[in-house]
Amino acid sequence: MFKKTSTAAAVAASTTLLLVIGGCSATSTGKAEADKSSVAAPKAKAVDYTAMSPNALAEHLIFESGSYELDQPTQEGTTGRDRLTQDEIQKTCSLMKGQELSDKNREKVMALAAASIKYPEGGIKLGDWKKGRELAWSGFGYRTAHNPDVHKTREAGGNCYNCHQLAPDRTGGNLGPSLTGYGKNRGSSPDMLKYTYDVIYNPHVYFACTNMPRMGASNVLNQQQIADIMAYLFDPESPVNK
Amino acid sequence: MFKKALRALPIALAVAAMAGPSMAEAPEDVLDKLIKKTNSPYLTQSPQNIMMMPDNPAWLVAEEGEILFKTPRGPKNASLEKCDFGKGPGVLKGAHAELPRYFADAGKVMDLDSRLVYCMKTQQGFTDKDPAIAKKHGSDSDIMKLQTYIASKSSGMPWNPPMKHPMEKAMRDAGEVMFYRRSGTMDFSCATCHTQDNKRIRASVLPNINRPDEWTKAISWPAYRTTHDHVRSSQHRVLECLWQMRYPNIKNGSDASIALISFWTDAARGTPAIVPDLKR
Repeated sequence: MFKKTSTAAAVAASTTLLLVIGGCSATSTGKAEADKSSVAAPKAKAVDYTAMSPNALAEHLIFESGSYELDQPTQEGTTGRDRLTQDEIQKTCSLMKGQELSDKNREKVMALAAASIKYPEGGIKLGDWKKGRELAWSGFGYRTAHNPDVHKTREAGGNCYNCHQLAPDRTGGNLGPSLTGYGKNRGSSPDMLKYTYDVIYNPHVYFACTNMPRMGASNVLNQQQIADIMAYLFDPESPVNK
Repeated sequence: MFKKALRALPIALAVAAMAGPSMAEAPEDVLDKLIKKTNSPYLTQSPQNIMMMPDNPAWLVAEEGEILFKTPRGPKNASLEKCDFGKGPGVLKGAHAELPRYFADAGKVMDLDSRLVYCMKTQQGFTDKDPAIAKKHGSDSDIMKLQTYIASKSSGMPWNPPMKHPMEKAMRDAGEVMFYRRSGTMDFSCATCHTQDNKRIRASVLPNINRPDEWTKAISWPAYRTTHDHVRSSQHRVLECLWQMRYPNIKNGSDASIALISFWTDAARGTPAIVPDLKR
């Protein structure tokens, strides 16, 4: 991606077609305006958007045009730039409309996912379903932008209900399948526990390029939190199975 | 009718004052026609909001915007009546439905927000530090009052961003790449939530970009948001989506935001704008 961007920048620099102000004046409001003051601003540079491929221009707009606060700190101690930088799975799974995942890329994604999964010492065990219930409900955590989530005051949640129906007492989304009656319907064999742990940790291992986040691999949930959410899914006393 | 009876007197007067041969189609009528034509749970998800549309608080914000628009203001003591939103100086009818577009004077593709700021700077002499420009959000901001007024003149008109200038195409195409580009803590792209029919996040029905008849409502801003008690802009929608996606802060009027807005407006091409809208 950086290679692409620098190639595009080189192409643009050698073109003298339509010149556009691609930089951003360093004013407090961050408003990129092509008025005289920003033309004179030292950071402004001339780039020809029309000479770039859509991919190259998208990367340019994200990383070089001053559109994002790339230095914004994140809860995990990185920056906004890191949040916007794609890893191999994200890159491979950014499929445009009508674009299919090739078999080769499917295998690549599944292998990368398999390599990312770390299991608890002493094996996969169920935690506290009541804690898991709150984690499954909470959509808090890792948001930055104009209103950063403060993790010191509240732990980040699992966001499960955003996309899944779980217990019938709360309304869940339907971007993912319904998980109502999860343990009751599937049983809790060691294989089923491992499968469920894998799907929460990195679902691409079974469903390459799924929409579901990689809750373990991305460090949103730790092993104890995954165990608690799994208890919420499997425990016969959990409202999910009532 | 019951709907009409609900309308508060001052709003009725404001609406009547705006009526005339060039009046745009009432947003509630535009929505009503779309609902009859399509079978979209996104369009019909809130009967309360549909019922409130004739009393949309955004009309009061638009009314204040009209006064601001016509009043000489700023260091240059000029009104905005000579601002060219793409259809000629002072022409507002249908202008918003043809944005974003390329403006030769600025050398940029601009959305309503950034074009408005451009005119406030060049014609009225405001600077980034003036509250008139610095405050981008909220029903009490000049920017939102003006945007709501200007956009309301495009209600019922089909989205038709020009796509004739190479810059317009370049921005739209880059916006499309960004729409499908996955990144961030949760691996989300815009497409994660907006490319399937009848999907929900919790109870909220999500609009599908591949269904122009419902997508038009998704991109119809400014809209009064009942959960915020404020009129919000396209720029605000970008900001909030990216916040939920765990992306860093995107700057108001930035080229990345305009590329996204160019793509999403092009996706609604031909369907009528519903402005001002009322959303949850």
